[in-house]
Amino acid sequence: MSSAARTPLQTLVEAAASTGVGNRIERDWTRVEVDPVTLQVIGGATKAIAAEMAQLLFRMAYSSIMRESRDIGAGILDCSGRQLCESDSTPMHCGSLPAYIKGIERKLAGSYRPGDVILHNHPYHGASHAPDFGIIVPIFLRDKHVGFAACTGHMVDIGAANPGFSVDVPDIWAEGLLIDCAKIYRAGERNQALWDVLQDNVRTPEANAGDMEAMIACCRLGARRFAELLQKYGLDTVMSAAEMWMDYAERMLRQRIAAIADGVYTAPDGWLEDDGKHFGKALKICTQVVVAGEDIYIDLSGSAGEVETGFNCPFTGSVLPTANFAIRTLLLDEALLAEEVPQNDGVFRPVHVFAPEGSIFNPRYPRGCEARFVQINRLPDQILQAFSPSMPESVTAGNSATVSCLAYSGANADSADDSYWVDIEINEGAYGARCGMDGLDAVDNLMANTRNNPIEETELNTPMRCERYELRDDPPAAGRWRGGIGAVRRWRFLQPVSVGSTGDNRQQDPPRGVFGGHPGKPGRLLLNPDGERPQSLPAKLTDVRFERGDVLEITLVSAAGYGDPLQRDPQQVLADVLDGYLSAPQARRDYGVVIDPPSGLDLPATEALRRQRAGGH
Amino acid sequence: MKRVGIDIGGTFTDFFFWDDETRSMTTLKVPSTPEDPSIAGAEGLQQLCRQAGIKAEEIGLLLHGTTVATNIVVQHKGARVGLITTRGFRDILHIGRKNRPLNFSNYQSLPRQSRPIVKRRHRLAVAERISAAGDILQPLEVEEVRTAVRTLKAQGVEAIAVCGLFAFVNPAHELAIKAIIDAEFPGAYVTMSHEVVPLYREYERFSTTALNAYVGPQTATYLQNFATRLEAAGFSAELHLMSSSGGAVSSERARQNPVSLLLSGPVGALVAGIEVGREIGCPSVITLDVGGTSADIGVAPRGELRMKHLLDTRVGDYDAMVPMVDIDTIGAGGGSVAYIDQGGMFRVGPHSAGAKPGPACYGHGGERATVTDAIACLGWFRPQALRNSGLELQPQLAEAAIEEQIAGPLQLSRPQAADGIYRVITTHMVEAIRVNSVAKGYDPREFALLAFGGAGAAFAVEVGRQLHVQRVVIPRHPGVGAASGLLNTDMKYEFMATVWQDLSRVDGAALQRAYRNLSGQARDSLRSDGFADGDIQLLWKADCRYRGQGYELTVEAPAGATDADWAAAVSEAFHRAHEQLYLRRFEDKAVHLINIRVIGVGHMPRLKFATAGAGDSSPQAALVARQNAYFRRGDSVGVFDTPFYCRQRLKSGNRIRGPAIVEQADTTTVITPEATAVVDELGNLNIGFDGGAA
Repeated sequence: MSSAARTPLQTLVEAAASTGVGNRIERDWTRVEVDPVTLQVIGGATKAIAAEMAQLLFRMAYSSIMRESRDIGAGILDCSGRQLCESDSTPMHCGSLPAYIKGIERKLAGSYRPGDVILHNHPYHGASHAPDFGIIVPIFLRDKHVGFAACTGHMVDIGAANPGFSVDVPDIWAEGLLIDCAKIYRAGERNQALWDVLQDNVRTPEANAGDMEAMIACCRLGARRFAELLQKYGLDTVMSAAEMWMDYAERMLRQRIAAIADGVYTAPDGWLEDDGKHFGKALKICTQVVVAGEDIYIDLSGSAGEVETGFNCPFTGSVLPTANFAIRTLLLDEALLAEEVPQNDGVFRPVHVFAPEGSIFNPRYPRGCEARFVQINRLPDQILQAFSPSMPESVTAGNSATVSCLAYSGANADSADDSYWVDIEINEGAYGARCGMDGLDAVDNLMANTRNNPIEETELNTPMRCERYELRDDPPAAGRWRGGIGAVRRWRFLQPVSVGSTGDNRQQDPPRGVFGGHPGKPGRLLLNPDGERPQSLPAKLTDVRFERGDVLEITLVSAAGYGDPLQRDPQQVLADVLDGYLSAPQARRDYGVVIDPPSGLDLPATEALRRQRAGGH
Repeated sequence: MKRVGIDIGGTFTDFFFWDDETRSMTTLKVPSTPEDPSIAGAEGLQQLCRQAGIKAEEIGLLLHGTTVATNIVVQHKGARVGLITTRGFRDILHIGRKNRPLNFSNYQSLPRQSRPIVKRRHRLAVAERISAAGDILQPLEVEEVRTAVRTLKAQGVEAIAVCGLFAFVNPAHELAIKAIIDAEFPGAYVTMSHEVVPLYREYERFSTTALNAYVGPQTATYLQNFATRLEAAGFSAELHLMSSSGGAVSSERARQNPVSLLLSGPVGALVAGIEVGREIGCPSVITLDVGGTSADIGVAPRGELRMKHLLDTRVGDYDAMVPMVDIDTIGAGGGSVAYIDQGGMFRVGPHSAGAKPGPACYGHGGERATVTDAIACLGWFRPQALRNSGLELQPQLAEAAIEEQIAGPLQLSRPQAADGIYRVITTHMVEAIRVNSVAKGYDPREFALLAFGGAGAAFAVEVGRQLHVQRVVIPRHPGVGAASGLLNTDMKYEFMATVWQDLSRVDGAALQRAYRNLSGQARDSLRSDGFADGDIQLLWKADCRYRGQGYELTVEAPAGATDADWAAAVSEAFHRAHEQLYLRRFEDKAVHLINIRVIGVGHMPRLKFATAGAGDSSPQAALVARQNAYFRRGDSVGVFDTPFYCRQRLKSGNRIRGPAIVEQADTTTVITPEATAVVDELGNLNIGFDGGAA
């Protein structure tokens, strides 16, 4: 293992993997010239297909995690597994579809028939993790197999050892049903036995069945719409246009990479709290980013080895999509681009990742690997840290870069037909401050982008009562631009509730400040904060029982500041004081800004104090 | 009755006068007065009366469509708003649904945080809590409220939103807070969440209430100014306003609930389109309302307005949970810019050259090639086409822009480049319409596509051909469609409540009480508009979903006994609606009734246009010019000797084979080679395609 700690470029290039397939494929169609107008028309049509697929899935899906949190992805891929288009849903699902196709191709290549519907969730064969079911429908033009319509969606429960999240599990079988390339419909006919097995072995059969129906409808719609497009323009024209769009996306990203100086960019080592079993034993993340011409290689060598629990990250289904996300977001930021760059095979091609086999980012079968989001969400932050000194205008200060997911469950009091209720809550993060902009408060961070459940909905549906849902009380991380503020939630349980969670409070390694900005603030889980003996809990809980009347307070991580706080506009500091983010003494301490409550901002005193502080260093 | 529709937009104020007895109409377009839109409104109205030869007091009804409220939100110019809410929930508006609009961006802003409707310093929490069942868990701390109100008053707040958790179940605390505000801070504009939108989902309800407070004071002032001006000019008819749900409401209701005016602007054209659809015997319509920067797309199956999904009811950067007609706006208009991007890709829109400097051919200094320039290059606009708007087109500027920016780099001929721009922009429109029709389970072959706005008729025929609609219709006055639509709008008052029941075991008595209560409110509103009970229709609606789902579909519910049969009928209506929209029904799953609604409708007489003068099939008498123009036929672009007709001179029965251009003061209709237009009895241009001409 140690020999791989610092890989020379050549070794790295050979060892690194990419989601991108590229143009060196076997074509059973002919590449033709496509005029720029037709190209534009076909580009618009494929984008619309992915959007329509997602639209159908959001609204037809049954569970709140797909419907409200929009934890899904949908798109069209060609026979080589190249993604042509993808819905704009949550980033974690973006770019994971090609790996699912790779996974099913190894068993099913050549066996597809019209009317087939394939279900796949094997994380060692491309799935993001087992709860992210993939549904794939092969597309046919007349009798010729021409591609796939695919979608992924997070199932509420897949029959794991415990309801909701379970980090401390021995292996992959404890994490629920494993479905490796199963044809759930064969030539239009449903495999009812398989369907029943799937529903009989989960805690939420009604929601799962509804969600799977929705996913199947979503793929069938995509397949039908893509076949219509092929009928209208012909296979050669559509596929040639698709390839031109991939090349375009590739070109756009390569232009940006080429503008970065070649070299090795190293992030400070990051630390994860623990693996959910060996509490207090931190896990290291090493991140080197190598820029070589128009390609980027991310080397995770030196990171912690695989762990005994489910806290490992599947490499192809999770680590690769994350790297793609990090690079594309940094270099092709949607808010700053004049045109939309499609999310297709092209944007994956310049990005390559290496993680040694047997490491936390490339575990070996049959290690558990369900709880991977925490580690995953640290990667884009690590990559931003690596580029921080050389790209000050594009990076962010340290992000919350974790995710706090809690699953609450219990026995249904009033219903005989459904023994369990499960409510999953993905809590918010916060963005590190940006160059020229404060960080975003209480919002999903990086790879996460889901909606919360309305409090009023949760209270109407579950025996839980929310006592607080607000921004944290402590001041945001100081900086010329301040860090995003985390949220705080308090749930009171009105009946006994079982909780499983995955998360990282970043107690020992809070988000890093950049260019003089202060570090972010750790999160915490606290039981009965107002009780006689408040109890601090770890971020990862496996089937922990709470009693009726217990109160759980979840404080989420606040992100880091950017730049010297003494350079923050005093008017902004005043606004922060008026808005209750910090007190006047804190403004003086952290920012050198003098605020005199009755008369407001004292600019001369502020300037004098700031001069004195600057000189005092 | 003599009625006037007044549609006030950012640039023009349109009037449409109609006399039900003589079936005569008068239209007028005057420049808007954005500093106080009621100036152009009142002065234009007087001018219209002179033009129509009637006195102010003869007018029985004034219907008004306004973008005043929308503009306040879009331009961030609303009142300073304070918010009083439940302790522990001060930041609901700040956190929202915690998602971010863009996935691939570290540098995006969240408007709810960077430009909040209510700043955090004005959001004050007080001790109080209602449970999901409506029980008081924590009584209201009256002293805290008093202190909060005094603080807000000292902060210079003009409007206060009162937003309590579960206030839609039990409004006692919100009412008590309002009473304290009224006592402590008389004159403040106060609005309560349970009144604005008495439905569950705290973020959306609070946001809607805050928006109501944000636009409230200025909207009230505007309505007051307008009323005062009208009164001074001798008008006695009360002003009614178009709401975003597609019905008209009284000034009083608009004053209390100004949030219902948001995004009502584009509704008028759709309502006008529905009426045209009824006239021509094709009730299912799609309207394409195109201006300089954007296109509004409306879809009305069987002539019924569809409401937007809750997740889509946004106004500018903010969320509002109010019933809104489902109209989709895309960045495709005459001013959309065509260009080659950094990656060498050919693009059209969504950026627009706007009204100033506008397209290159306007000669106002615009340099970038736009869609209008493409149309000029294709020879469809004669230089005098926009003379009515004070513009003399300069086709040579369009040709230069397209040659240099598009044709040259792409190595295309100029007509090919222009045709390419036209194809891309029409494809954008087609895709947007498909997402709003086909993707929602409607078959375009059963629809007529209607053109509105200054530019709709330049695209409608080609868009309709690609969509395979039954036919394309260019109404008589596409440019003042919104104003005429106002006169085909019924008075509508919608009231709602969250009930949260399982339809398999409904509490019939409770439901009946709830429906009766809402019905009473709707009836009272219409009575005060002068409707007799016999002329009032009460529509019952039910928002349902399968158990455990998070969003509802609204279906019609029988108005009557709310027993098991009723529940079964509502369930079936829901299964059907679900299947229509989502392709599947889940018969074995429990259906939950979440919200109920009652819509009170006061029907207004429809405009009955006189028939147009009859002629034979030859449009020869209307021919004003013949000149070369370019059209695509099949795979190539060719030059055609093209007739130009004057719309006013066309007679019913005239038949025009494409390619042809029809000119009128407010628009230009482009009839492509595969199409044939027939003028119907009411003067509409009905356009069909090869073989199947209407």
